[in-house]
Amino acid sequence: MLKKIGICIFLSVCLVSLVFATGGKEKSSSANSELEGTVSFYANITSVEPLMEDFNKKTGVKAEYTRISTTKFLSTVFTEFEAGKLLADIVQAPLPVMEQLRAGGVLAPYKSPSAAGYPDWAKREKDGIYMFGIEYVGLIYNKNLVKPEDVPKAYKDLADPKWKNKIVMADPSIHPTTISWLVALKQNVFNNDDAQWRDFLKGLAANNPMFVASFGPTPAPIASGEKAIGISMPKYIVTNAPAPLDWARIEPLMGSPRAMGISAKAPHPNAAKKFVDYWLSKDAATILARDVGEYVLAPGVFPPIDGIDKVKVIPIEELSDNELTQWAAEFKKIFGTK
Amino acid sequence: MAQRHKRLTYSLIVLVGFLTVCPVLMLILGSLSEGLTAFGTFTVKKYIAAYTDPDLFLVLFQTVVFVTGAASLATVLALFLAYISTRTDMPFRFLFKIIPVIPMMIPHILFSISWVMLLNPSNGILNLLIRQLFSLDHSIFNIYTLPGMIMVEGLLDLPIAYLIIAPAMSSFDVALEESSHVCGSDSFRTLFKITLPVLRPAILAAFILCMIRCLASFAVPSAIGMPGRIYVLATHLYRMVSTGFAADYGKAAAVGVSVLVSSIILIYVYRYFTSSSEKFVTISGRGYKPTVIKLKKAKIPIFIILLTLSFVLIILPVLVLIYISLVPYSMVPSAKAFASMSLKNWITVLKDPISLLSLKNSLFLGVFGATLGIALSTFVAYVIVKVRTKSAGILETLSFLSFSFPGIVIGVGFMWFFVRTPLYATIWALLIGYIATYLPYGIRPLTSAFIQIHSHLEESSLVSGASYLKTFRRIVIPLLTPGIVSGWILMATMFFRELTLSVILSRPGSEVLAVQILRFSEDGQWGKLSALGIIMIVVSTMLVSLVNFIGSKLRPME
Repeated sequence: MLKKIGICIFLSVCLVSLVFATGGKEKSSSANSELEGTVSFYANITSVEPLMEDFNKKTGVKAEYTRISTTKFLSTVFTEFEAGKLLADIVQAPLPVMEQLRAGGVLAPYKSPSAAGYPDWAKREKDGIYMFGIEYVGLIYNKNLVKPEDVPKAYKDLADPKWKNKIVMADPSIHPTTISWLVALKQNVFNNDDAQWRDFLKGLAANNPMFVASFGPTPAPIASGEKAIGISMPKYIVTNAPAPLDWARIEPLMGSPRAMGISAKAPHPNAAKKFVDYWLSKDAATILARDVGEYVLAPGVFPPIDGIDKVKVIPIEELSDNELTQWAAEFKKIFGTK
Repeated sequence: MAQRHKRLTYSLIVLVGFLTVCPVLMLILGSLSEGLTAFGTFTVKKYIAAYTDPDLFLVLFQTVVFVTGAASLATVLALFLAYISTRTDMPFRFLFKIIPVIPMMIPHILFSISWVMLLNPSNGILNLLIRQLFSLDHSIFNIYTLPGMIMVEGLLDLPIAYLIIAPAMSSFDVALEESSHVCGSDSFRTLFKITLPVLRPAILAAFILCMIRCLASFAVPSAIGMPGRIYVLATHLYRMVSTGFAADYGKAAAVGVSVLVSSIILIYVYRYFTSSSEKFVTISGRGYKPTVIKLKKAKIPIFIILLTLSFVLIILPVLVLIYISLVPYSMVPSAKAFASMSLKNWITVLKDPISLLSLKNSLFLGVFGATLGIALSTFVAYVIVKVRTKSAGILETLSFLSFSFPGIVIGVGFMWFFVRTPLYATIWALLIGYIATYLPYGIRPLTSAFIQIHSHLEESSLVSGASYLKTFRRIVIPLLTPGIVSGWILMATMFFRELTLSVILSRPGSEVLAVQILRFSEDGQWGKLSALGIIMIVVSTMLVSLVNFIGSKLRPME
């Protein structure tokens, strides 16, 4: 009995491993060889599968997407690049990350014809950086919990004590985009009035917001009613539909530019150029705005969120890693995180 | 014999050492290098910055409370459940063999989210229920506290403790207890003077393994600790690598080195307390027979307590997951919520080619990886218990190296290592990484099982003319079956939902379930996340039941 079962287990393990070993080898060869018709894309962006399919349909090139979180992005790309094994043809990340990749020699210059209608600040052909959208941040609230008359009319309203224990936001002592956003408020909303800006921060801190690791976990507690309002991204109104979410109509909306570029040692350089051209095209921008709620820079394309086409959305001034660390320490004191 | 033992020990040291030392060495190099990768100009700046952080003291204190609290809870609960399910005449005992293992199959982030839905102070389902029942104006429970974290982490680590303690409990020689009774001791005294001391190696192994796992755990500290502003080592490291875009894993590794040292000390503490292993032998040539203890009048009350405990602690969170998977967005149960239920999330997940590929890959890694892992673990455990030389001690420490390093950085260590090999970006890198990191899951239950088998049994076989291998196959392995089954389940369910290494090493074609789950989690898609999570639980349950069935057929006494 023991022997029979043992033989059965051994045979089935061999069989399974044989089947999967073939799959593994296929993967290995496709990842390292220069197969025509494939392009590899490293990014941290939501639900881009429809774009991949559309790109494949239009060009016959298969796009392979590897999602790498922002905290691991530079470490992964530099490790692969230094070992001569950067598998990505295209890298896509927030602008400060792309700046560091450019400084590290990872990016190749490229002039894309699709970027013709884009604002000048979004095109840096010589550096190999194209900005195609803005990670816009705003105040998102639960329509069932917040009466229309209570919806904040200005950012400073969030410091009102009526919001005590009702706010969710990404941790301002670690999350780079939240840190940059809070700093940008001073310049773009409080007209560089340091005292007013600090009063707002102290008021916000006194409201005891619930901190989460990043923007990703912010919409769920608002949708479920655990919290009433949050510093979050309006795109979640699209991706979390039909959740009772809306955004406070406050100008300007601000965020870090999303950028992309071609790797200097791209294993598939021609497919990579095609991919950038496609991504910057109106067709791709429309899918990105419609399905993912992204704020794109392609002229005349907006996400399907009421009122978003009328609001001013501006890119924020990016902070260096040193500045981010200093501000993180400052916010740690203000918000009392330990 | 001694020569054979020596050869086996050295071969295993080379193999296990190669698997576990490489990534850790890379991390140590990274912690001593300028820049973001493993190789740069030598510097100790990262150590100075990491250890002069004024928050570190509070973080360490909270970590100690969290880790000891959760490990104690897991071990005590496991002892209780293992005793009831293996030694008593409790009705539906098989249920209490499956229930403690359930948390092992649930992605930890999902289990944590489920508890947030139940016990958050604003509108947690259980809190709302209690408020309504007793007409209170505030919530009684707040999950975002240290006790909340300890409870959820303790439940998540319960399977580890249970799967180590249960096999030891099931092969317990009841003659020892009977002798105690004959000498006039009551049941209480027998429990503390005989039963628990004899089980000491298993209890300590479970406790220490749970402690090390808690140290590396990230899901509970991030989903429950961070909103409550309670930071432990794992979240401290996360904050360290998250501030700014150029995450310095070298600096995080510098802190990780202390965790590694603490873990190694714990392993030596464990070895010290179980040093005279012959004291714990319960299966010898005289034959052994674990008898069933009759609960008599206590049967029904204990059954009700167990059922309630299992329902509230384990089944309820799973029900919450089923509920979340059916509603369109995160919403509190209401008539509106039930009216809007649909299978949309399920259909999306089942039609998603990447989710299906992930399922296939994870299944392969779970079944094949655990089988390979358990084969290696059997030899390692044999050397650790039966050889017990200094080299065996080195082997035991080596087996814990990758496992002891905080999860948030060990994956980077493997990336720094694999990128220099042809295995990078293949499923084989994941397979090797998994086995190297989670080897203790196979070794611990097997060492506990080996300790209980008297060496006379092997010696009798060898004296009777059987070969070394034949003795191992015909005598040792069958007696080890409970340990093998436990180890296999621990490894397979871990590999099936592994995230730490996978998130860094998986690439298109080698996607795995946990990475797909993380994608849904990062996008706040709790519905799809729960649907995929439940698929994971169902597949894991089937695997566990199958292996338990095979195990019961192989056990010599049944």
